[in-house]
Amino acid sequence: MSTPFLVVDNLSVEIETSRGLLKVLRNVSCSVEAGSSVGIVGESGSGKSMTLKAILDLLPSTAKYTSGEVYLEGQPLLAKSPSERRALLSEKIGIIFQDSMTALNPVLTVGYQIMEAPRFRMGWSKEKARERAIELMGLVGITDAEKRLSAYPHQLSGGLRQRIAIAIALAGDPKMIFCDEPTTALDVTIQAQVLRLLLDLQAKENLGVVFVTHDLAVVNEICDRLLVMYAGRFIESGPVQATFQNPQHPYTYSLLKSAPDPETPVSRLFSILGEPPDLTKPLQGCPFSPRCFASQSDCVASEPSIIDTKQSVAACFHSASFRDQLHQIEGAR
Amino acid sequence: MKKRSYGMWVGIAILGLLTLAALIAPWLTGYDPTSQDLVNALGKPSVHHLLGTDDLGRDVLTRILYGARVDLLVGFLAVLFPFIFGTALGLIAGWFGGWFDALLMRIVDITIAFPFYVLAIAFSLVFGAGPKSIVITITLVGWVAYCRIVRASVLVVKELDYVHAAQLSGLPTRRILSRHIFPNVISQAITFSMSDIVLSILAIVTLSFLGLGVSAPTAEWGAMIQEGQAYILQEWWVPFIPGFMVVIVAYSLSLIGDGIVKRFVK
Repeated sequence: MSTPFLVVDNLSVEIETSRGLLKVLRNVSCSVEAGSSVGIVGESGSGKSMTLKAILDLLPSTAKYTSGEVYLEGQPLLAKSPSERRALLSEKIGIIFQDSMTALNPVLTVGYQIMEAPRFRMGWSKEKARERAIELMGLVGITDAEKRLSAYPHQLSGGLRQRIAIAIALAGDPKMIFCDEPTTALDVTIQAQVLRLLLDLQAKENLGVVFVTHDLAVVNEICDRLLVMYAGRFIESGPVQATFQNPQHPYTYSLLKSAPDPETPVSRLFSILGEPPDLTKPLQGCPFSPRCFASQSDCVASEPSIIDTKQSVAACFHSASFRDQLHQIEGAR
Repeated sequence: MKKRSYGMWVGIAILGLLTLAALIAPWLTGYDPTSQDLVNALGKPSVHHLLGTDDLGRDVLTRILYGARVDLLVGFLAVLFPFIFGTALGLIAGWFGGWFDALLMRIVDITIAFPFYVLAIAFSLVFGAGPKSIVITITLVGWVAYCRIVRASVLVVKELDYVHAAQLSGLPTRRILSRHIFPNVISQAITFSMSDIVLSILAIVTLSFLGLGVSAPTAEWGAMIQEGQAYILQEWWVPFIPGFMVVIVAYSLSLIGDGIVKRFVK
């Protein structure tokens, strides 16, 4: 078996805050094959964006790695010097952000920004970079590319800006793009267009995609594998379809159940009680146990061990039986 | 349609006229700013001397015009140098952080902890009198404000997505700093410099008034006020006119500054 494109091995990150050390990532491990697409879901503060930032070496200065390693095509990144790390990453990975307004520099034309990586990292001539920029803008579905090259970000609509952001990410010719909630700030029709574009690119360019979102429907549409994150750790992994049909973790189950289903309308949506744990404090037992409908004494006693994200598994002691609990509760009502 | 800021144009007009008059001063007046004429000392404004003469018989109008050369030039340089040094240091401190940032910010804190004139007077005693030392003095004290403003903006901008994207796309650091950080942090420093230039001109005048700035016999407004203050009860125009000029210049600079702020901050 060949080495996976990206391997995250036992990665832990802490951030210094005024309230104390925040353990944002706790022993995160996963691997992503070249050309595959992985969706990472979780609620705000679960560490999903931080996982991307930790892999890409874009952590804020108050954060530090406390354990683990990231391997890109088998090469350990954190062991390398910052400049070597940056060089490897920039060659292989592009990124798209949530808010296309802050993802583009307001004082530079979009054309300049698309041409920047080819010109100043890869050393292309201005003319060659310009041709490439026009080609890329065509690829992301922008008509009138020649004219739009000299537009500034504020002159374009949100959907167009996000397409430009994708073109910028592709300009460095990456093998994989990281998407940090790229459709959250867009309205639904534009969202669908951007997703279709990403799917197209994935197929045409054999591009790997790591997709971070809290929108389960989006993951269903675009990803092969699903990773569910909670309290700085992956708690469930598996193929998207199978996991959606048969979630192994009560958290995933609750998330899916709390999404409205147009076919079976209910008077009151299912909801997850409480709020995510405070990661500045030591955790006791399973971090989801205080909010879990199936929590039992062993859940509070110890935390389920870290899961192997290559398998279809969940970090839960009661994967097999938690549904019965719910039926009992609902039956009693 | 946005409300137009006429005030800014009034300010630009006044300052422009004054600058022009200062530049062509030798052609506007036949007198020498330093040549004395003791017979006509402390003369009232007349056809020969439009703004009268001072205690040594020098033409006040001539000295005002030549004084404008000194005050405007020194005022401009005393903002330009702090702007350049403060911005450069603020960019580096904000971007790289670490021990350099910590050290620099402590120096900034210490500088700010002193009242401006205490430090300015101490420095001007070290560097001696004269326009050059005024510029050095104000630069040594004034850079801290620019450094703080720029550093704070850099800390915000460097966490924005487009900077992260630029970092990830492997652009060299100096390109990220010059193209992605600098243009997005500089507007606040420019806005501040507009109000700073007013204070800077006041500082020059004050230092010269205290005898620490431009020394006699060079024409300079602060020194002129100082020399004329003995005659304020009888020949009041001698200290009043340079003082009035300071107010005019400060006011027109404020008008320009406000206009620029209105344009930048929408």
